[in-house]
Amino acid sequence: MSAATVEVAWQRVDPRMLLVYPVRELVRFLPVLIGLFLAGTASGRTDWWHGAGIVIPMALGVLRYFTTYFRITPARVELRRGLLNRHQLSTPLDRVRSVDISAPLTHRALGLTIVRIGTGSASKDDEDHLDLDGLPAARARQLRVDLLRLGAPATTGAEPEHLDRVVLRFDPAWVRFAPLTTTGLALAGGALGVVGQAVNTFGGFDRVDPHEVVDSTAGWSAALAVPIGLALLLGAVSALAIGGYVVTNWGFTLTHTGPEHHGAWHLRRGLLTTRETSLDDDRVSGVTTSTPLGLRLARGGRVSAIVTGLGGESRSALLAPPAPRAVVDGVASAVLGTSAPLTAPLSDHGPQARRRRYVRALGPAAVVVVAAVTLVGFDALGTWSLGVVVLLPLAALLARDRAAALGHALVGGHLVARSGSLDRRRDALAVRGVIGWNLRASWFQRRAGLTTLVATTAGGRQRVSVLDVPQDVAVDLAHHAMPDLLAQFLVSPETNHTALRLPDL
Amino acid sequence: MPELREPSHRVSPRARLMWATAAAAEGVVLVAVLVVAGPVTDWLPVPWWAVALAAVAVLAYAVGMPVWRYRVHRWEVTATAVYTQTGWWVRERRIAPMSRIQTVDHAEGALARLFGLATVTVTTASAAGALEIVGLPRDRALALVDELAVQADTVAGDAT
Repeated sequence: MSAATVEVAWQRVDPRMLLVYPVRELVRFLPVLIGLFLAGTASGRTDWWHGAGIVIPMALGVLRYFTTYFRITPARVELRRGLLNRHQLSTPLDRVRSVDISAPLTHRALGLTIVRIGTGSASKDDEDHLDLDGLPAARARQLRVDLLRLGAPATTGAEPEHLDRVVLRFDPAWVRFAPLTTTGLALAGGALGVVGQAVNTFGGFDRVDPHEVVDSTAGWSAALAVPIGLALLLGAVSALAIGGYVVTNWGFTLTHTGPEHHGAWHLRRGLLTTRETSLDDDRVSGVTTSTPLGLRLARGGRVSAIVTGLGGESRSALLAPPAPRAVVDGVASAVLGTSAPLTAPLSDHGPQARRRRYVRALGPAAVVVVAAVTLVGFDALGTWSLGVVVLLPLAALLARDRAAALGHALVGGHLVARSGSLDRRRDALAVRGVIGWNLRASWFQRRAGLTTLVATTAGGRQRVSVLDVPQDVAVDLAHHAMPDLLAQFLVSPETNHTALRLPDL
Repeated sequence: MPELREPSHRVSPRARLMWATAAAAEGVVLVAVLVVAGPVTDWLPVPWWAVALAAVAVLAYAVGMPVWRYRVHRWEVTATAVYTQTGWWVRERRIAPMSRIQTVDHAEGALARLFGLATVTVTTASAAGALEIVGLPRDRALALVDELAVQADTVAGDAT
């Protein structure tokens, strides 16, 4: 491309999409089609318009192909689509932050891909995404290289994949971590909802006779039925978790292209639908290694990147699926370029912060216990009394684990913070990725001389929190991270008349 | 160990009245609902003494909260940073470097207009990092917006 003034022609996506679009429209119209079919069989006639139910969606699919255009000029990417509601999307090339390539089964069979061009826009509306649906795989990869300005491996004629440094390759043995995550529960909940809805729609629940169920299960022993039921449930949830894990993470590879610190990370994963994500080195400002209780007990964890412009819990920033701890730490240190933030000892938050963990865990538990005992009476609780008795020790254990997690450090140009028990996380955020500081303290925290220091950032969860750190340590930490910024707001303790510091109790 | 001092400027004293009015309006609605639902229609078992207790709590909140909040709310803008302190029960201090400021908003709610006040909101690229200065005199707020716009413009980069 020579000059910006050259008019670039609009082009259509690959003609093979003529096979994909009609099928997709048919699938989208499936509920309507089933309705039509049922109505047709009920009335016993087959009218001409039953055929229309198939022809119209297919025609719409063909039309979609002929009404979708895109062009990539030296300055912008533009997409135009829609027959009645015309929709034009356009973004300047220098705003492009990520290029995701995905390929559902239909696309894979035809060698096509969907290219999603991400600009860090906060819009959640699907219509506002710049998706080039139906580019040949090779063209998509070249486009990614061009858009992210990753040098030009194609001009040398060499296969770019071979220049990559592979940091992580999927190992099927990691599937053992799948049942330890909450994915299985979520999937099971979803499945239960769908099945329940379907059974309800067809009047299934009305046909179940409660008396019959009671009679047929009367001979079962509770001591036998309950463990068997639990085991079956556990098995089903685990199977779902493993299935979900395999489908999303099969073939997970993490590679780095280009020179150190000036290239990009490529992620590829998926059993049926393959997904590829590229993360620019400049935009990766940190990593979060999370070790929820289940994974932690099995010496596992997972790691995701904090990427500028890639917000929220966006899963495309996942750097390693649930895997052994050593693998996770290896990936994290490769991405950070240093292992110091992962291995460095963390500073303790002190006795007040630990005490606060116990108060916050035991307080609500004690309220529940007292309420149950005074309102219902210990004798009337029956088997529930067991739950009440267990509640307090469980809360104490949780508090102990949460207290043990607290820690922070400032090493290798990274702010490191760790907290949580059931959902333990260790965030390492590069100081250059910090775009502001929040110091938050409730009246109780101030009384204990504590504050929660929050480093805000433009990626991931948008923040890294150092929970319940002593006030002076919080200020010192922020000051050391950004001396120029905080110096103007500091006073030495001798001349300090304004700050309210109450004696520790 | 160095300590963080408070930001130098307070917001307008009229902000106290604004907060008190808002709290009182909410409280009156709450108490009215309680009175109608409880003793008047007997729809909920709310006795008169509970209503009286709620009224006292509302009154204490409407009188105490604005005073406390006014003592906390402070702000400061320097050549390189914006620094705010907000809240009352939960006190939050926020510091953002001038180079990371993305937008500066000026807003006047209906109630704020009644008292000639305005809110200036400074946003950064982080969803967790917006700095809000509530209860500035209107003229001061407008001047501050201009000042911030000029200062933020002089810093290069895309602020992320």
